[in-house]
Amino acid sequence: MEDIEKLKIENEKLKKLNTDKSDLISLSAHKLRTSLSALKWTLKMFVNKDLGDINDEQKKYMEKAITSNEKAINLVNYLLTFNHSDDVSIKLNLKQINIVTLVDKIIPLFKGELKNKNINLIFNKTEKSIPYINMDEEMITNVIQNLIENAIKYSLSNSEIFIKITENISNNNIEFSIHDNGIGIKEIDKSKIFNKFFRAPNAIEKENTGSGLGLFTTKNIIEKHNGQIWFESSNKQGTTFFVSLPVNLTL
Amino acid sequence: MKKILIIEDDEFLQGLEATKIVKSGFTIITAQRGEEAMVKILEPNINIILLDLLLPNFDGYEILKKIRSNEPTKKTPVIVFSNLSDNKDIEKAIDLGANKFMIKSNFSLEELVEQINKLVI
Repeated sequence: MEDIEKLKIENEKLKKLNTDKSDLISLSAHKLRTSLSALKWTLKMFVNKDLGDINDEQKKYMEKAITSNEKAINLVNYLLTFNHSDDVSIKLNLKQINIVTLVDKIIPLFKGELKNKNINLIFNKTEKSIPYINMDEEMITNVIQNLIENAIKYSLSNSEIFIKITENISNNNIEFSIHDNGIGIKEIDKSKIFNKFFRAPNAIEKENTGSGLGLFTTKNIIEKHNGQIWFESSNKQGTTFFVSLPVNLTL
Repeated sequence: MKKILIIEDDEFLQGLEATKIVKSGFTIITAQRGEEAMVKILEPNINIILLDLLLPNFDGYEILKKIRSNEPTKKTPVIVFSNLSDNKDIEKAIDLGANKFMIKSNFSLEELVEQINKLVI
């Protein structure tokens, strides 16, 4: 009996520690975002010549600084998502969402990146209407953004990316897939691709600023929704990620 | 000329916001601290309010409550412009009557001005 009491006390202590840790991450993220916002807006003002004329070389450097700053902002956003997705006590904010509309809303956010690499993103919609999914919109938005971002990052220039959404009537799930013709995932890295902070060597070579948290967070979120995520890929042959989400999730 | 009240405790951010908003033709009044904001919201003819959440003394939620219970500002559009982004923060702000919740670091000032012009009355 005494042991059980001890365990209960220990458990409470750990829960408290976990909450404190989450709060600290939230607070730090908030402070970081304040500085990053200040930088973002100031640099933009320079580039837009709100603060007077600048020459082309200065502009080029400012633009590089903006891109670098955006990466830091993304990292903070990941940290916050990760902070929540890792927290077992966080409840999903479930609502009935039309995932096709959601993807339609997300794609234009990547207009710049797609144009830069001359990538054609094709969203194949079925004529049949897809049922609404009971899900946390903010979290699934993060998942979709992350998968599109990865597909663009690891694609070659002048290529195509295909997104498909289908209904699997047999298990009442919706399947989302995204296929790219990029660098692919090597056999040796396949088992580690969803690990926290893991980045495959060929991915680092292509894009050295990733956090190693994207797919880890993505998997966490999908599993919280009782869904599944998997992929098919081979080296230099492109990758397809599949996400399957139950339509009628209840908690 | 339309009048905007900017409630933001970070002086530098407030300066940047104001510079950009002035250019699109607004008169600006500002408040940095909670208690100052509580007084400024009583000023006449405010067309829109930009509200940060973490402020010294009164937080943004308390100010929002006051805005919505004060007859002249009851229907004044409020954009919550904060770096908090937890679902609970967003829901609370919307429940208390915010018209829009924007995360500062995820938007440019151009996008902010666009929203202000969309919502202003």
